[in-house]
Amino acid sequence: MGVQTVGASVRRTEDPRLLRGEGAYVDDLRIPGVLHMAVLRSPEAHARIRSVDVGPARALAGVVDAFSAAELGRDQPAIPALFAVESFRPAPQYPLAVDTVRYVGDPVAVVVAESRHVAEDALELIEVDYEPLEAVVDASAAIQPGAPVLHDDAPDNVAATMVYESGDVEAAFAGADRVVRERLDVQRYTGIPLETRGVVAHRDPVTGELTVWASTQWPHTMRTILAGMLGVPARAVRVVTPDIGGGFGVKADFSPEDFLVPYVAGRIGRPVKWIEDRNEHFLAIAHSREQIHEVELALRDDGAILGLRARHITDCGAYQRPLGLVNASLAGTSLGGVYRVPAYRVEAVCASTNKAPASPYRGAGVPEATFARERLFDIAARELGIDRVELRRRNLLTPDELPHDTGLVSLEAAVVLDSGDFPAALDRALEMAGYADFSARQQAARDEGRLIGLGICVYHQVTGTGPFEGGSVRVDPTGEVTITSGAAPQGQGTATMLAQIAADELQVPHESIKVVFGDTGRLPFGMGTYASRNAVMAGTSVVMAARQVRDKARELAAHLLEADPADLELEDGAFTVRGVPTSRVGWAGVAAAATPGGNRPAGMEPDLEAVQYFENMAAPYSYGIHVAEVEVDPHTGYTTVTRYVVVNDAGRIVNPRNAEGQIVGGVAQGLGGALMEELVYAPDGQPQTTSFLDYLVPGSLDVPDVEIAHLASTTPLNPLGVKGMGEGGAIGAHTAVANAVADAIEHLGCRVTRTPLTPAAVWELLRSATAGAPA
Amino acid sequence: MDVQQESVVDPAAAGPAAGVQEVTIRVTVNGAVHERPVPVRTSLVDFLREDLGLTGSHVGCEHGVCGACTVLLDAEPVRGCLLFAVQADGHEVTTVEALATGDELHPLQQAFWEHHGLQCGFCTPGILLTAYDLLRERHGVSEAEIREALSGNLCRCTGYQGIVRSIQAADESWER
Repeated sequence: MGVQTVGASVRRTEDPRLLRGEGAYVDDLRIPGVLHMAVLRSPEAHARIRSVDVGPARALAGVVDAFSAAELGRDQPAIPALFAVESFRPAPQYPLAVDTVRYVGDPVAVVVAESRHVAEDALELIEVDYEPLEAVVDASAAIQPGAPVLHDDAPDNVAATMVYESGDVEAAFAGADRVVRERLDVQRYTGIPLETRGVVAHRDPVTGELTVWASTQWPHTMRTILAGMLGVPARAVRVVTPDIGGGFGVKADFSPEDFLVPYVAGRIGRPVKWIEDRNEHFLAIAHSREQIHEVELALRDDGAILGLRARHITDCGAYQRPLGLVNASLAGTSLGGVYRVPAYRVEAVCASTNKAPASPYRGAGVPEATFARERLFDIAARELGIDRVELRRRNLLTPDELPHDTGLVSLEAAVVLDSGDFPAALDRALEMAGYADFSARQQAARDEGRLIGLGICVYHQVTGTGPFEGGSVRVDPTGEVTITSGAAPQGQGTATMLAQIAADELQVPHESIKVVFGDTGRLPFGMGTYASRNAVMAGTSVVMAARQVRDKARELAAHLLEADPADLELEDGAFTVRGVPTSRVGWAGVAAAATPGGNRPAGMEPDLEAVQYFENMAAPYSYGIHVAEVEVDPHTGYTTVTRYVVVNDAGRIVNPRNAEGQIVGGVAQGLGGALMEELVYAPDGQPQTTSFLDYLVPGSLDVPDVEIAHLASTTPLNPLGVKGMGEGGAIGAHTAVANAVADAIEHLGCRVTRTPLTPAAVWELLRSATAGAPA
Repeated sequence: MDVQQESVVDPAAAGPAAGVQEVTIRVTVNGAVHERPVPVRTSLVDFLREDLGLTGSHVGCEHGVCGACTVLLDAEPVRGCLLFAVQADGHEVTTVEALATGDELHPLQQAFWEHHGLQCGFCTPGILLTAYDLLRERHGVSEAEIREALSGNLCRCTGYQGIVRSIQAADESWER
């Protein structure tokens, strides 16, 4: 029978230790003699720093070090921005603010002390003299002439403008029967993992190597950036990821603390730890999503799309960190979705404001663009008097039109829709959701004074972005298999997935395989876990490495069994000569022979290990359909999501149950974005949502069960045929839920054009509709 | 609260507790008695994690909302971040580390493993103890009751579906 685990919902190998409370997150690491860092953050949204006096903090008993930017010198290294597009003008963040602070939470000084308590006590003793400056918190206001300027290099507060186009947009609009346009806004919200950020660093007194344990999604990138900023060779820094308590994209960033902790550990020669508290997290974690979309759709009377034209402004916050342009870029290339759009032009403007820096969060610009498109489609369908499903169906690309090259290239990948059956997925989802009889149910509810709505979202996402991922597969002389991957997962079940993949290739039980992640000391190159890339990139690198190991083992087994390699079968952990079951050697026997000094064919190198890098820029696109049903309380504006259906197509699925876990978890986050989550700033730049009392995330009573079906359009772009899928839930749900709320209330005369649709926002829409209704 | 001993540390002395009052407490954690001085401002969860090395209880928000630090105090679930260690003086504390018996997972833990009740695992210890409290003296809980009981614990990964399924399964499998 043999080992066949890809495609099976096996239990996660990660779980037992996490369930026992034996997980080791960064705050759980016990480093003898560790000191604690605390960060003094700006209480001003925009201010000149006249002076900083850390003297009184230094004098406090228990304080070991305290400093501000002044002590780091004028040549303090800036955090690099990774994508230098032509229009880019730097808005660099330095580890500690130099002369000017630009958002509430901007680090100004640090204290290192014997305990976190004492370090925070000492923060209160630091004297900072601020000269307040006018702040700007609205992205469209920020790019108007006369707005307060954040960075001298960009006096218009535009960090970059990117244009994505294909076809003749002007002609499409000139020839349109109808043009539907709307401004559609997505609010500022973000990942909010349950584990905040954290960094621990220690310089090895023997090797001089700086070891950094960090709750990060990209240890190798962190290592490269950190070594560059410290001005040391990459070999002098080792970044290790322990267990990570959620990331969702916001831990694929490089923040001031990522430099400050290793820097100060080296400076004082003692281990230093910084664990972000929740208040700091709301102030300083990468924020995301905030975009203003002005979208226009050129249509024929029959609903065929002729062109799509848009301009969006991304609120990038105060600084451009490594991925600051990505949300704007991916929103720019994904507005067209999986539809036939003959002419397309999107201008993506990146604006600086006096708010926390923005960076990708689960979906990275795609949820925003999806909201703009799918909301506009519903509005257009209403204006044209066409059923919203019909409008979508008429414009969806069909399987015989694939692969479909949109001609667009984002910062991350070309947009080539490789495979899928979008109309079939739509049909399936509508059937599951009972769309055919929904309008009757809706009318019946209205007759009872109840407001119910059904929302549809067709989404797609780029997955498995390049340029590469690394993986090694090693078989020890005793026969045990170890995978080392450049991935740095945060709960996705990637250890189980990679073990399943290697298990099938090597014919060993997947539970017997040890998987090690996120250690720059074990694998020279890696990228990490973000952009739904683990199955595609880490998975493929492991397939490649496992096959290389297997091929070498086959040669070696043939030598040991005195047989032809072509006559050997690998099954259940052993090579057997076909038809001669007694002529057999298992992995331990082969691996022992591979040991230096062992019995190998002449010329064969010793050891059984392969390190492989899957280098690939052709990213597969997954897609899906979300259908949400909601009930809106006409008296309070409170929305309850009553039903949720997802049809997902991510190609071949390695572990369906884990994949479904990703979908459901993503739906919860998208629902949060549609209905409750928002990082609010007052006009003066003061953040208003700095605890879980102000920033609501979905709880157990808010998220319905999600009914899921899969299609499997295997991609030709990798040997497993897998597509990524971790972000899709969050992409689809934001808009499906928002469209459902709109469907519940728009017949009353209100127009839903922004999220979150909090009870207050919906109540306001209902009230204004009632007020404006003809008597 | 039963203060057994007080000492005020000399503020001029160097050290982490400079100027901070310490109190010696006696607390039973997972069946073991611990008697030691703690600064009065130390939270229960910090005491468990840092003084006793029980890092299974996690600190997610430090303002009593997320529930990651949930432990049992005299068999009732409490927020480890909202209690000071000195408030546990004379009481019994149970943490996630006490659920399994040797190599054998508790039926609740086993159910979470079987039914994909966790992803990153950070909220899991608090959720396990909340579920333990829910099921300990009851059988046949409804989904609505489970969701209500979980409403004080945040999970950012799972969307709760796997957690609810796991607790339903444990309701069946846990002989109690």
